Amino acid sequence: MALSSTSLVFENVSYAYEEAAREAVSDISLSIAVGEWVGVTGPTNAGKSTLCLLAMGLAPHFFGGRLKGRVVVLEKDSRELSVIQRSAEVGLLFQNPFTQISGARERVDDEVGFGPECHGVSRLEVAARVEEAMALVGISQLAARHPMDLSGGQLQRLALAGLLAMRPKLLLLDEPTSQLDPAGTAAIFDVLAGLHASGITIVMVEHRLETLCELCPRVVAMVAGRIIADGPPDDVFNREAVQLRVGSPVFTRLAREAGLSPPWPVRLRDATAVFGRRLA
Amino acid sequence: MRFAYPGGVEVYPEPGLTLTLGSGVTALVGENGAGKTTLTKLLIGLLRPSAGSVTVAGLEVAKITVAAMARTVGYSFQNPDDQLFERTVQAEVSFGPRVLRRSAEGIERGVAWALRACGLEGKEDVHPHDLGLSERKWVAIASALAGEPAVVVLDEPTLGQDYPSRERLRSLVRELDDRGRSVLVVTHDMDFVGEACPTAVVLSHGRVRYSGPTSKAFADHSVIQEAGLEPPHVDSLARMLGLSECVSEADFLSAWRR
Repeated sequence: MALSSTSLVFENVSYAYEEAAREAVSDISLSIAVGEWVGVTGPTNAGKSTLCLLAMGLAPHFFGGRLKGRVVVLEKDSRELSVIQRSAEVGLLFQNPFTQISGARERVDDEVGFGPECHGVSRLEVAARVEEAMALVGISQLAARHPMDLSGGQLQRLALAGLLAMRPKLLLLDEPTSQLDPAGTAAIFDVLAGLHASGITIVMVEHRLETLCELCPRVVAMVAGRIIADGPPDDVFNREAVQLRVGSPVFTRLAREAGLSPPWPVRLRDATAVFGRRLA
Repeated sequence: MRFAYPGGVEVYPEPGLTLTLGSGVTALVGENGAGKTTLTKLLIGLLRPSAGSVTVAGLEVAKITVAAMARTVGYSFQNPDDQLFERTVQAEVSFGPRVLRRSAEGIERGVAWALRACGLEGKEDVHPHDLGLSERKWVAIASALAGEPAVVVLDEPTLGQDYPSRERLRSLVRELDDRGRSVLVVTHDMDFVGEACPTAVVLSHGRVRYSGPTSKAFADHSVIQEAGLEPPHVDSLARMLGLSECVSEADFLSAWRR
């Protein structure tokens, strides 16, 4: 793969937080091409959120700690760019939306415009982007509300709108729908599918394996700071090590328990086909 | 029961909410803004109804202080950071029973059990904020359990939890049920509802749209749609295959084997 087509590259990256006894990620190598939609999953303390913080540059720029290896984001070495510079092109949605809100704005629409405003985007352009981003994530009717009065689900949509108003090339999403109801989740994933179709690169941490398999053509499975599998979901979740240490989508588990022969399905439509053939 | 937030947002419109929750494990589901978290706060007296009343284990909540309600109801918040303030996991988890002036022996027993049930053994001396979100969530749950309350309310316990953690949560609610506790789980995780909660209440726009066995909760599509729900994955697969309704993996496998 030519370097010019990569969005995010990790080369033998190890990182330990300040005063941490062990590394949060160890010897990670990963290359993500422009336009990919990559799902990242793994148990607690696998290093998933750290991966996002490293790609954003918050680790080590904000958190301190020790970084070995190279992180290249949109073809620039992470050591050469400040987080502020990078935020013009890269957006990170935090796991907990309560920590994402600036606290400096008292209306939802002002909060959405906070990023582009700080980057010196013209007033008219900010207004247009705010309107578009709010409509996209479905919070236009909340424009005049105070961000701190919103529910968890509304706050999560607001945080995403704030990122989209920056028109990022690379989106790092740490469990983007954790606070949303199933209908809201489906709506946000539709938005992400649209962004993916328009060529934006998405790296998404997600625990719900069924969702991950449905949406992401490529899955990275991490355990204890290391990548243990990387590939199409059907390959990744048919590996025993992944099933044991990360878990399986419900369809994979059912096919295994029902005594069907591998490879087991990871998506609803494949499971329907596989089980359906046995019924026929 | 009626309730409106200051500023006038009416959560449970005319004629108000009438709902009886039995013992055992009950899921409370519904769209964002349906009134789920508000309901849990009314159960522990953090909010007071503007009309009607809320009774928990024979106690009328409005007549009792929040501190006294804490003897009966253990509550873990949706966002653990709203709840955690001590410097170690041990201090955090023992805070409730200490304030409730439980006996030293009772505190020790409750805390030890809560730490074990929540997978926090060995983390007693860690600062809660040095833990990841999902582990902080477990500290919040352990804190709700350590006083050994008769009623346990868990707001979004599966949020940010990996598969092993969700399995642990499943066995935790089963154990609470075995110990005769009543458990109310607020969640958007329909797979978890199907696996772990025999009873479900569907709330939508402040009204009860369904209350009964979870196995029948996903049958009415208009209710599902209005409440922003999706059936559990096993249910979707069973329907595609023309099998009878299934809400858990065990249901599916027995239907399949038949």
